[in-house]
Amino acid sequence: MSSKRSWVSSRHAVLVTLLLIWSLAPMIWQLISSFTSSEALVNGAIPFQNRWTLIHYRELLSSDPPFWRYLLNSTVVAGASTVLTLVLAVPAAYVLAQLPRRWRRSIRSGVIAAALFPYVLLFLALLELARNFHLGNSLFALALPYSALAMPLALLLLTAAFEGLPKDLDDAARLEGLTLGQRLRWVMLPLIAPASASTAILVFLFAWNEYPIALTWLSRSDLLTLPVAMARIAGSSIYSIPYGAYAAATVIGAIPLLLLVLLFQRQIVSGLTNGAIKG
Amino acid sequence: MRRGFRIASGLIGLLFVLACLAWSGQKQPVPVSILMPAPYADASTQMVEAFNREHRGSIHLEVIRGPLETESISDLAISSLLLGDTPFDALLMDVTWLPKYAEAGWLEPLDPWFDQAALDQLILGARLGNHHKGQLYRWPLGADVGVLYWRTDLMDSPPSTPEQLSDIAINLVQTKRVTNGYVWQGRQYEGLSCNFVEVLHGFGGQWLNPATGQLELDATSAARAAAWMQSLITTGASPKAVINYSESESLQAFKAGDAAFMRNWPYAWAELQKPESNVRGNVGIALMVAEPDQSPAATVGSWGLSLLKQSPHQEAAVEAIRYLTSEAAQRERFLNQGYTPTSKSLFRDPELIAVSSALPEIAKALEYSVSRPPSPLYAQLSDLLQRQLNGLLTAEPEKTNRDVGTATAASAAAMNRVQTKSDMLLKATGAEA
Amino acid sequence: MTVLLAFPALLLMAVVFGWPMLRYAWLSFHADSVLTGLVPVPNGGANWLRLLTDSRFWLDAGQTTRFAIVSVGLELILALAIALLLDQRWRGRSAVRALSLLPWALPTTMMALGWRWIFNTPYGPIEQVAEAAGFGPLNLLSTPAMTWIVTVLADVWKTTPFITLILLAGLQTIPEDLYAAFRLEGGSAFQALRRVTIPLLMPYILLSLLFRMAQAFGVFDLIQVLTGGGPAGSTESLALYAYLNGMRFLDFGYSATVMVGGFLLLTALILLGALLLRMTGALRAMQP
Repeated sequence: MSSKRSWVSSRHAVLVTLLLIWSLAPMIWQLISSFTSSEALVNGAIPFQNRWTLIHYRELLSSDPPFWRYLLNSTVVAGASTVLTLVLAVPAAYVLAQLPRRWRRSIRSGVIAAALFPYVLLFLALLELARNFHLGNSLFALALPYSALAMPLALLLLTAAFEGLPKDLDDAARLEGLTLGQRLRWVMLPLIAPASASTAILVFLFAWNEYPIALTWLSRSDLLTLPVAMARIAGSSIYSIPYGAYAAATVIGAIPLLLLVLLFQRQIVSGLTNGAIKG
Repeated sequence: MRRGFRIASGLIGLLFVLACLAWSGQKQPVPVSILMPAPYADASTQMVEAFNREHRGSIHLEVIRGPLETESISDLAISSLLLGDTPFDALLMDVTWLPKYAEAGWLEPLDPWFDQAALDQLILGARLGNHHKGQLYRWPLGADVGVLYWRTDLMDSPPSTPEQLSDIAINLVQTKRVTNGYVWQGRQYEGLSCNFVEVLHGFGGQWLNPATGQLELDATSAARAAAWMQSLITTGASPKAVINYSESESLQAFKAGDAAFMRNWPYAWAELQKPESNVRGNVGIALMVAEPDQSPAATVGSWGLSLLKQSPHQEAAVEAIRYLTSEAAQRERFLNQGYTPTSKSLFRDPELIAVSSALPEIAKALEYSVSRPPSPLYAQLSDLLQRQLNGLLTAEPEKTNRDVGTATAASAAAMNRVQTKSDMLLKATGAEA
Repeated sequence: MTVLLAFPALLLMAVVFGWPMLRYAWLSFHADSVLTGLVPVPNGGANWLRLLTDSRFWLDAGQTTRFAIVSVGLELILALAIALLLDQRWRGRSAVRALSLLPWALPTTMMALGWRWIFNTPYGPIEQVAEAAGFGPLNLLSTPAMTWIVTVLADVWKTTPFITLILLAGLQTIPEDLYAAFRLEGGSAFQALRRVTIPLLMPYILLSLLFRMAQAFGVFDLIQVLTGGGPAGSTESLALYAYLNGMRFLDFGYSATVMVGGFLLLTALILLGALLLRMTGALRAMQP
């Protein structure tokens, strides 16, 4: 048994290394390219010492608008979406968790169907709404469709969390004279905190990465979210393709997300895991 | 004492208010911004600086450098216009987009600023494609047409009919005097439509009848034109690779001396006279071939400046437009970057002809300009044509069509398909019958 | 009374998910283009007749289906392997798990830009390696035959971690003793995989399959930025075609038609898949 384990673990090391290479190599390549001068990018013969430069980062930070603007925009939209989603989903999940079984199943099926829907198909109708109600070019207005799109996942996770609470807890609190608001705030919310955290981080990530709706709702260059800005940078190649600057953009754009994932990986994993099990 | 203090502070306050009024009364220069593709933007930098010097304090012009790829500029502009946002005052507009933008109501008519006299100064090619439903929406910056480049060292005079072109090309290839006969743009993209329009008119046909507004690709002339283009490949007059050629591939082949004929835009002339060109000094320009009783045609591709309806600074923007399209600006653009001028008189200017001896030929070609269908749905119509035509060129024919100028079953079927699908497209999008 | 608490959330969802498809269905029977001033005008079934003979639509449908099937297939296999690896207990497992999640967390359009460089001819690393190895220029992003493979690769790279987590969740619900019992009966590790793991993992595999098929069928971000639909439209997806019809051709009515048509095809595809699974499931049930 133990010999099998050690044999397995050396094979593991190889597989784990392969996994890490597969997952990280493209990003590492971007990192290397971002510090490589434009000449060295197209000429492999330039000696090692002369290949490095910070110019791509300088260009990005001094462009108009500066690159960090896009990160700020994405953060604003993602933050607003997360808040809106939680504000709407928590009470809804509380109610859904108390519904009789029959209702719960059909609503859950509806919610799952919504979660499966390829949301890119919604862009035209949402564009019409933006045109008619002047919702375009507003970071806060964008939180509306984003919350709706994140709602299925939020509902699945939070309803499951509420269902996991002991039934008598709510009744006991009610007997103590607490109103619904107080019950939610002081009793329930602390108990479902892990699920809320998972939901929050997943919604935040979704809003950061969303592309088609942001593409059609935002046109002003100083309001673009990160994915739209990257696409616009990609589409604006002029003479020589400035891949050094592109790589630097990728690195800067990735940093916040990498931090988020590394800091909140447990919440992300448990969120997706529970979503899968309950779904 | 206190009263004196109060009077003093009152006076200072008054002084302050007057100063503010004076400062705001001082005119800030009106900002004008124009979106252009990067090459044009770069070519205009010096002109923009000169403009801003001349208009210091009254107008400040800024050229926004857009993507190189044509469609990307339009996509960028449309994404703002659809949301009701107008981030710039004017736009450098390709001839094929004009009907779409004008129909969508995004452009301001330029008739108040440019009259018939100004229009008459323009060479024919530049005059085409600026109007929509009778109103002027675009003032041209540069106009190009398709021309036939021929090797003066391989023949005495250029062919004037399709049959002559085919024969000479095949002959030269078979006697091994040149690797390829005739290179042109056969890839599935807009360039193919441009090539086709010239051939179509050469066979007496037209894509869209301006009088009736109907498409005429089901006429025999269209089938014959398509069949001739296919026969170029099957008879060996053109290399098979031409089905993947765009302007740069055909130029590359001709420049290397591997082809006897090339269809391309005027910019190629300057490239062919460069030191590294193998055909330097041995190139002539002629009009595209046409049947004996038909007039030759040259597809026009032009760029011009359009004023956006929502622009808050229309007068200033038109001022900038006038400046950037003035004869002085045209002269500078031609001498520095080789962009074809738009004023008739410049084509006879000795200074310009000295720089490029091809200018008179290009002027002649511009007088034979034809435009592609000025439909707001042009992009889709062109897509339908490109697919069928490229498919026809790529397919293996049943037998080699040696009879130049007759339609084949396959070519007729392809053209009919384009006609049917185009009609379906127009009907489904609400075109008036 | 408290039921009203659920109302805002459900209303928002109904508007954003329910309204569009109804609107598209309605729009598809209208002409709504630049020729009508972007105002819908009834035109009977003209859009649908056009869709039926639209070779570009059917071409894109085929390309999108091929992309979805191959991509999801590869993702499932790869994700299962990775999940099995991560399921075992070894030191540093959670760190590796977090790192392997990174591809999924990055925006598709951002990495698409990165892929354009990685597969660039002639300067990208892949091309350099191929040249050094003597395979000559691969022209990965300019040959129709190769470009769609690049898009599959990029898609697999991004979405595999997601499926891995779902399968991992499933793996963790399988009790250890089942494996122990299986091994006592003399089964090998591979047989354990086939007889124990995969059948018990089926609901999770099916969930991932369903979810990813729908997402892959609607692929848009990756294609638009990585290839723009090229070369020569060989990687154009249905979502991109619908988008171009709306935003470039200003033909909203037809864009809606393409999307309804695409959605119907997706539903048909899923039903077909379900049918196939039921048939193979029935076959497997017949085995001892």
